[in-house]
Amino acid sequence: MESIELREPVILDIPADPASLGLMRGLVERIVHRMEFPREEADRMVLAVDEACSNIIRHAYGNLQGGRIVVTFGIYDDRLEVRIRDFASPADPQTFRARDLEKVRPGGLGMHFMRSAVDEMEYELPPDGGMLLKMVKYRVNKEVPET
Amino acid sequence: MKISVTERKPGVQVVTPSGEVDMSTSPDLRKILVPLFSSGASHIVVDLSAVSYMDSSGIATLVEGLQLSRKKGNVRYSLAGAVPSVEAVFELACLKSVFEMVPRIEQLFEGDDRA
Repeated sequence: MESIELREPVILDIPADPASLGLMRGLVERIVHRMEFPREEADRMVLAVDEACSNIIRHAYGNLQGGRIVVTFGIYDDRLEVRIRDFASPADPQTFRARDLEKVRPGGLGMHFMRSAVDEMEYELPPDGGMLLKMVKYRVNKEVPET
Repeated sequence: MKISVTERKPGVQVVTPSGEVDMSTSPDLRKILVPLFSSGASHIVVDLSAVSYMDSSGIATLVEGLQLSRKKGNVRYSLAGAVPSVEAVFELACLKSVFEMVPRIEQLFEGDDRA
């Protein structure tokens, strides 16, 4: 089978502005289509990256203009790695929780959508500030690489 | 995103957003949807058939409508025509059964026009 792996990552640097989200989703759609993810998984990945960037705009930058979000896509034969970097004041990742789905109320679903879409998800606090969210989606059901 | 509101028949307001409902556009939907619950309408329908994408902010706006409907008590609130990719977001949020959702808007009015 022809390799889809790219030697270098694809990097998207967008303003932390809701108006950027549609453009960002367009790129994610093209990537997950190229990687031949099943339709439902592809849609969930688009949603997950959208929700992550929306959270940054809303919570990290407080809906203020001027911030930036850098989304880096690592495209490999077996997985898609998405790194989402902001440069706002970092928060404690332990406080990021999906809400109880039993409760019907607006808000709080984004984290649930993100966790549902990916196989791995973790936050890092880069030494030069901001936050880095890393999400990994495997092309087949998660396989642990042989060491 | 474009949004239209039509009075299907007296007291029945149909809100039809088209395009993508995300953090950028859901405030526009909210601005139109929320006041309808104070307009005297007896039935508010959101026709989702022209919505190609919806994220959690769109879902939150529709949940707010549900809460207003429950608070008012006398306003029926329905969602209609969600395409599979949008319907899947409701399923992911475990909210599909919470709303009155029908595949086609006509289903809400079948039989109404009989003499």
